Amino acid sequence: MTPTPPILTVLFYSAAAAGLSVAGVLPVLRRDRLPLRWMGWANALAGGVMIGAAYALTVHVDEALELGAGALLGILFIHWSHMGIGTEELDLNSVEQMEPAYGYRVMLMTVLHSGWEGVAIGTAAVVDLSFGIFLALALAVHNVPEATVLAAVLRGQGVRGRSVAALTVAVNVPQVLLAVSVYGVVSAAPATLPWVAGFAVGALIDLVLVELLAQSYRQAGKISIAVVAAVSMGIVVLVEGLLG
Amino acid sequence: MPAWLIVGFYGLLTALATGLGALPFLFVGKLSGRAVAYANAVAAGLMLGACFGLIREGTAYGGWQTMVGAVVGLVFILATERWLDRFDVSFGDVAGAGAKKMMLIVVVMTVHSVSEGVAVGASFGGGMTLAAVITIAIAVHNIPEGVAITAVLRPEGVSVPLCAWWSVFSSLPQPLLAVPAFLFVEAVQPGLPYSIGFAAGAMVFMVFMELLPGAFEEAPRAGIGLVTSVTLIAMVLFQRFL
Repeated sequence: MTPTPPILTVLFYSAAAAGLSVAGVLPVLRRDRLPLRWMGWANALAGGVMIGAAYALTVHVDEALELGAGALLGILFIHWSHMGIGTEELDLNSVEQMEPAYGYRVMLMTVLHSGWEGVAIGTAAVVDLSFGIFLALALAVHNVPEATVLAAVLRGQGVRGRSVAALTVAVNVPQVLLAVSVYGVVSAAPATLPWVAGFAVGALIDLVLVELLAQSYRQAGKISIAVVAAVSMGIVVLVEGLLG
Repeated sequence: MPAWLIVGFYGLLTALATGLGALPFLFVGKLSGRAVAYANAVAAGLMLGACFGLIREGTAYGGWQTMVGAVVGLVFILATERWLDRFDVSFGDVAGAGAKKMMLIVVVMTVHSVSEGVAVGASFGGGMTLAAVITIAIAVHNIPEGVAITAVLRPEGVSVPLCAWWSVFSSLPQPLLAVPAFLFVEAVQPGLPYSIGFAAGAMVFMVFMELLPGAFEEAPRAGIGLVTSVTLIAMVLFQRFL
């Protein structure tokens, strides 16, 4: 039996991560309104997992200077993206905003957000395929609470149940596309690995701070958010350490 | 000179180096609320970056042990925070929430120094050259920690010399623990991942519970995100090059 080409493994697991996000829609469909604290905890959970994923990437890349330079580029890209789209201070989790423009901007930010996660998966898979699978699974877990928050926003905009489910999966398609294409490119040009990994690290960290944690403190209070974020980060770090 | 005295001297040097982190603040005047927020963001980034290094080091000794230590560290800071809530806390001339934050960061950094002190002492078992290298590495690594402490204390009105003192104070466990660690190196080695994890857990929790929420309240989140992210990466790189 011929072994599965690694790129198909990357495709499968990143697609599974994207698809799993539909589970995050269920709590929103079952309630008229999601409690604000739940959104805060969902953001903190997703954020902690992402910081843990960023840490895991730094551990696996030895070229520190290139990693750092790539990280700086990733941070600046996220920063300028927010400035360009006009979301740097926008409440990204409002369930009361009815204007379509608000919904489009939130969707656009979420699409970009999932793209950088795909970069992280693809890069991790080049370092080691099992590491890429681990990262895909970690981000699959984090996709669920992120989808919960997005679904709550879309429901607030009046979007119907099935459409909410479809959209929360659709915004994660860039995760799959970038995971596969980054895997292909970095495999073909290994010198780019520390740069791309660094880019993903910087982007993930800045995303967490600007899009997730900042909102979550207002939603659920600093102590519970700190606990959720720290524990979820710790679990990712522990599993990464045990997998070696 | 007895070997344990040399060990203590090296440990003292690393502690004194922490005070150098206060020096940049000699050139900074009175800080606005927004500047305080950015100072907290710098401290948060440095501490998270230090945690990345700590976790990496701890998991090399033992993953489960590091995580157990981290959980205990998290609980310790939470319990300390809750305990401080019961009193009208003051720190020098500062009272209330500001004093509590100052106290927590000094506690966190002091706790962090415990594992470093053990590392300095234990490193002498590998010969003087290794010990000197590790001492220099920890001393240099302590400087941004002094920056992190001063970044929290200075905005509350603490003078630069006093910030330097508290920075050095937070590192005093290094010489105090380096000596017993050297003398009983085989006994302390199994505890190292736990103490490293404890320091990491306490630091991460301090960042998520105090520094970041405080920073987000007073300054735009895009700016706080940028400053924290950049200083985190800078600290990770700094540790890699040591």
